[in-house]
Amino acid sequence: MSDIDVHHLAAAYALDALDHHERQAFEAHYEACEVCRADVLEFRDTMMHVAASLATPAPASLKSKVMAEIATTRQLSPSVSPIDMSRRRQMRSLTGVLALAAAMVAIVVGVVVFTGRDTTTYSDELARVLEQSDARVVDLENKSGTSGSFKVAWSGTLGEAVLIGENLPPAPQDKAYELWLITPDETKAMYVLDPATDGNVHRTMKATADPTAWAITVEPRAGTPVATGDIIYVATV
Amino acid sequence: MGVLRTIRARPADPPLDDGDRAGALLRRAGRGDQAAFAQLFDELSPVVYGVVLKVVRDPSQAEEVAQEVFVELWRLAARFDGTKGTARSWAATLAHRRAIDRVRSEQASRDRQDRDAAQTVRDHDVVVAEVESSIDQARVRRALTQLSDLQREAVELAYFGGHTYREVAVLLDVAEGTVKSRIRDGLIRLRDELGGES
Repeated sequence: MSDIDVHHLAAAYALDALDHHERQAFEAHYEACEVCRADVLEFRDTMMHVAASLATPAPASLKSKVMAEIATTRQLSPSVSPIDMSRRRQMRSLTGVLALAAAMVAIVVGVVVFTGRDTTTYSDELARVLEQSDARVVDLENKSGTSGSFKVAWSGTLGEAVLIGENLPPAPQDKAYELWLITPDETKAMYVLDPATDGNVHRTMKATADPTAWAITVEPRAGTPVATGDIIYVATV
Repeated sequence: MGVLRTIRARPADPPLDDGDRAGALLRRAGRGDQAAFAQLFDELSPVVYGVVLKVVRDPSQAEEVAQEVFVELWRLAARFDGTKGTARSWAATLAHRRAIDRVRSEQASRDRQDRDAAQTVRDHDVVVAEVESSIDQARVRRALTQLSDLQREAVELAYFGGHTYREVAVLLDVAEGTVKSRIRDGLIRLRDELGGES
């Protein structure tokens, strides 16, 4: 299991040869992976030549149908991203200058440690999970009222899960996000996110139980064995 | 960047190369310009329809899917990002994706594996025959001959046949990991033969 496995997925992705779950999981990964993103763009450009070789005149009726339909179809607005930043700034201003300074030091340390993981181990681990025939991926529904997203990919046969968090605002002071694996019998504490890292989290963990849901709550910074906070992200399986 | 795009999008501008022309038309369409979208349709419809027809096979279904693709291009036009590939490549990607979605949703209701496999064998000859007429087609044909048999079969079953790599593994009776490797090796070989630029 090496980085090469991820690139294998990039090629199959560019051919639309991944099934629905793998496609979702790969899309979650490749936005954050420059190598895969570059590969996908190159492979798509390559397949553009193949597509061009298939060019066939469309039936004359197609144009009038398309033009009639677009005349009554609303267009989406351009994507404009930086709403998240203002929210983050507001939250940070509450934490006070000293706490912010301490957090910045922690972020720098965290990023240095994290970058190494992100380019090698995490990719390998995600690829290993996705290769399993029972691999599943879910998007957690965001009930927090702020920016951020979580996905979980897991495989029961492998007994591993990968948590992918993006664009997360910092947890409130002295608090941390905690991930729970929910089964009919128990709510199992899986992982307390390190509040010192930036808004993006990639984490692999053991997951032997068969989940009926995944959830995230905000808990005391040290984590708790039993959930106490409201569920702010959730996905049922 | 915004200013540059605006200037490029003016119709009075000198003709741009193919990719930029489609991109400029798409950006104008993103501001609600239906005349620009009509021109864009003329530019892109042979590729969009050709890709969809190749995967879906049935002409009336292909027309429906191609219509969906163009309406989606219209809806998403303002979100086109030229740094992530050309407009033509985006349209071809979207066309292939929608065609795949159509055949897979059909596959869910009936098992067409045997028939598809048989058709794919015939399709290769059709591809070779179709390819005679233009330089682009000749380049693709030459590039495809540079692939090993297994690489070519894996790429064709996935791209033309609409199969996942796992289904391709069953069809070719080889390990899934082998198919992933052959698809990747095949695309790298094609990229080297055809170049990454479209």
